[in-house]
Amino acid sequence: MSFVSLNIESPTDAPLKLTRRALAKQRTRERVLSAARRLFTERGYEGATIRDIAQAAGMSTGAVFASFADKSELFDEILTADYEVIYAQMVQAARSAPTVDAALLGLFGVAYSFHLDQLPLLRASIAVSWTRNDAAERRSRTDLKHIFRLIGEVTQRGIDQGQLKSDIDAKLLAEITWDVYVANYRRAVFDAWTVDALLERLSDQLKVIFAGARV
Amino acid sequence: MGVRDDQKQATREKVLEAARDLFNDVGYEETTIRAIAERAGVSVGSVFTTFASKAEVLSHVMNHRLGDLYAEFDRVVPYLRGTTIDRLCSIFAVHYAFETRRVKLFLAHIAASYNPSAEPGVTPYGRNERLVQMLIDVLQDGVRKGEIRQDLDLADVIDVLKAAYAWNYRLAAAGGGVGDASAMSAAMDRQIAVMAEGWRPR
Repeated sequence: MSFVSLNIESPTDAPLKLTRRALAKQRTRERVLSAARRLFTERGYEGATIRDIAQAAGMSTGAVFASFADKSELFDEILTADYEVIYAQMVQAARSAPTVDAALLGLFGVAYSFHLDQLPLLRASIAVSWTRNDAAERRSRTDLKHIFRLIGEVTQRGIDQGQLKSDIDAKLLAEITWDVYVANYRRAVFDAWTVDALLERLSDQLKVIFAGARV
Repeated sequence: MGVRDDQKQATREKVLEAARDLFNDVGYEETTIRAIAERAGVSVGSVFTTFASKAEVLSHVMNHRLGDLYAEFDRVVPYLRGTTIDRLCSIFAVHYAFETRRVKLFLAHIAASYNPSAEPGVTPYGRNERLVQMLIDVLQDGVRKGEIRQDLDLADVIDVLKAAYAWNYRLAAAGGGVGDASAMSAAMDRQIAVMAEGWRPR
């Protein structure tokens, strides 16, 4: 374009610059997230400060705050990223199983396998979930909604296929199933149970929970 | 016990009481050992000669509370009436009524036991043997009376009940540490009822 003088930026340069800046920003975020993941794993949520995380990432505290509003947002971002990794697998496991029990064991098996590989981070997230503030609680509930919808899908299919009675309180049963799924992590944390041991226990627990719901 | 042991015991009691109140009123994370010592009227050093860490103080506070909880049971349990299911619901209602008096303390206890950096000497959450024994007694009684199926695995039932019981404290956690014992008991009653449909003899 001949009418553009050489001493002003040509329009084609602008998006490139923006991309470069966006890339740098993205890299900063990733560095912060990876340092944060390591420190939360080693020290728990309360034990890792923004200052520690900044130092571990090799940047200033201000630079961390430029990417994340506060520590809880940083922590949630890590959990949400993990959740996105496993959710698709959970869906796959739930939809390919022939029975209600197999589907539930399949989807929770995906979660157990994933979290047992990084148990300290899971412990930190459970610890935080008991004392977090309202805003953080609401954010985590949004992630949970997807999982409850998936459990609901499984029980509905169980009803359609005649495995479960049609008048069951599916929501309440899903809640109890979720309760025991989470509670079982105590066995992994304190008694070093494996994924197989957890699933065997969950299978027995499902028999108790769905005892009145089966046809 | 010598004078020195008496003094040590008195310091211990004062520290545990101060810690219990601060953990519940101010919050566990927000409470420092220094604040506990100040409130108990003892030196920071004397707290550390008795307890290795704040987490250990919390563990002892929670163990200490069991004395009061068990006294509550001894008072209430002989009067439990009704069906097996009614009695299960009552046992949990007594727990909720007791723990919601200091619900933030209880939430801190659950959170601390999951903390990955928890020091040794910290009691894991969920090892209330007396609760388990009471549930076994009531369920076995239910089997004898023909209200509960003989082939039901009672250990699994107790496992599920304890998980549901604990998770209902989320109602308090979500409410910013305000525990409504009757709402929690009502939630527990519904959960027990929906499962117990299948626990009756067929």
